[in-house]
Amino acid sequence: MVNKQDFKKVEEYVYEIPKSYRPDMRVPARLYADEELLEAALGDRSLKQLVNTATLPGVVKYTLAMPDIHQGYGPPIGGVIPSRTSTGVISPGAVGYDINCGVRLLRSNILAEKVKPIMDDIVNALFRGVPSGVGRSGDIRLSNRQMNDVLEKGSAWAVSQGYGTKDDLEHTEERGAMAGADSRKVSGKAKKRGSSQLGTLGSGNHFVEVAEVEEVYDQEVADAFGLFEGQMVVWVHSGSRGLGHQVCTDYVRDLQQAVHKYGIELPDRELVCAPFDSPEGRDYFAAMACAANYAWANRQCLAHRARLVLDDVLAGLVKDRELTLVYDLTHNIAKVEEHPIDGKPTELVIHRKGATRAFGPGMPGLPADYREVGQPVLIPGDMGTASYVLVGTAEAMKKTFGTSCHGAGRVMSRRAAKKKIRGQELQQELEEKGIVVRGGSMAGLAEEAPAAYKDVDRVVNVVHSLGIARKVARVVPLGVIKG
Amino acid sequence: MSKKFEEIEHTADLAIKAYGQGMRELFANAAYGMFALMAEPSLEEPACQREVSLEATDYEGLLVDWLNELIYLHEVEGETYSQFIIETLSPAKLKAHVTGGPTKSKTKAIKAATFHELKVVKTGSGYEATIVFDV
Repeated sequence: MVNKQDFKKVEEYVYEIPKSYRPDMRVPARLYADEELLEAALGDRSLKQLVNTATLPGVVKYTLAMPDIHQGYGPPIGGVIPSRTSTGVISPGAVGYDINCGVRLLRSNILAEKVKPIMDDIVNALFRGVPSGVGRSGDIRLSNRQMNDVLEKGSAWAVSQGYGTKDDLEHTEERGAMAGADSRKVSGKAKKRGSSQLGTLGSGNHFVEVAEVEEVYDQEVADAFGLFEGQMVVWVHSGSRGLGHQVCTDYVRDLQQAVHKYGIELPDRELVCAPFDSPEGRDYFAAMACAANYAWANRQCLAHRARLVLDDVLAGLVKDRELTLVYDLTHNIAKVEEHPIDGKPTELVIHRKGATRAFGPGMPGLPADYREVGQPVLIPGDMGTASYVLVGTAEAMKKTFGTSCHGAGRVMSRRAAKKKIRGQELQQELEEKGIVVRGGSMAGLAEEAPAAYKDVDRVVNVVHSLGIARKVARVVPLGVIKG
Repeated sequence: MSKKFEEIEHTADLAIKAYGQGMRELFANAAYGMFALMAEPSLEEPACQREVSLEATDYEGLLVDWLNELIYLHEVEGETYSQFIIETLSPAKLKAHVTGGPTKSKTKAIKAATFHELKVVKTGSGYEATIVFDV
């Protein structure tokens, strides 16, 4: 068990477990948090999981975790593992099962005040119009050929079918398609699981939310992102559905052999990995890219459904009903990026599991209209409190391999939440606060209760104070559909 | 009757501890526990039967494969299983016959069984295994 005294405080909000803590650690492990969040992390197994990540071959500088850290399997959620592409490894468990689980934010020219009186209608219409819930199929059926196109082209496939615009692609991380995707590396089983799920939300913490920009902190950047106080915006949070899970399952199993072949010793089999520069590593990367592309196409289709529903339900109330994509980003991914190590630009594979890329101004790969300010960093909170829009900074490049947190982070188990909170009462409480919520099941709703999450304001305050992402706007929920 | 499984705490996901007097019973009870948390079969429809045949290099790997195979069948065939007969079991091989019905209601999407801290342990009264699921 990791204790508080095992950490050394490097600077305000930066705690480090030195390499000497365990003989199998190759680099130190860092936690970016305030004291209260550090104490909270001591409550589950997340810090042991963080230490485990520091044992992987080829890791550089330090592995780290964000203030929304919580227990996962393999690495903790909120974990970042930087590994050399030349001598390091890629680990499917360190990306996670829901490959490219991510979030997108759409803005409107509609004032939230205008839509609040009909929020019940809006949420009911979204609940009917956006397929959601446990294992739910959608209305898109993919042939084998179409599936391979989705896997290799991602969002561009969806746009080519009329589900969105070219501008959506400009404002999606990787333009909605990772390079190197090879659909031959994805199993028939994975394709079968994914064949009827494109354009579906899924269950768990996935949602579509209508929200209001409550406060703008940085006017210049908010202007660049097209955000203003009182504005209605829409969040979409989903991932790669059964397909991504099967890709991870397949490679976690297959790579068990690679670990023996390459003589890699692991403290946890879920951290199974292969050298990045090996046939096994390359195969996983090509399959992971396919699952990431599926997830981008999925959010593109979901956003399209949300646009249609809102256009319909708001007709007669507002004239300009266009929803424009601010940005779409991934929370679970491994990406090849260049970062300075010992003063030299070095190619690394950065695993982000429950963490967000937070590139600052001038970095490659940003949309032209955000290049001068930095990328939007979207932090969805729980359904009763708030979410944040932040902007990436140069500081993130120095401290966290260009990474920020991804959400509030859970603090209570699903089991405990279900025991403590009744879905029906929660729904009522939220409605008294002016938040309309619909979910597939009351138990599912209870598991996602605000009390099950950390204080998002506190989490965001840490990344803002550290300068790894700067606050731009706070956004509050008005209507939510949960899977 | 002795306990087949229990749900244990996990912050973000779902975990169970499964028990069995022998290894075969442990495998059957782990599957039973997983489905008990996940979905209910319709008993009015004719029963569905599936044969499962898997190979791995150790019991832990085989247990994860077994549960993932059942998750896959549940998702793509729309079936929920309640009876698990393990016909052959060695560290390298599993053959099983499972029976269930079309899925009537789903309570929880379990999307994968993980290797996280997975151990099959011999106890005084048989075997036990803790399995963490991705939900």
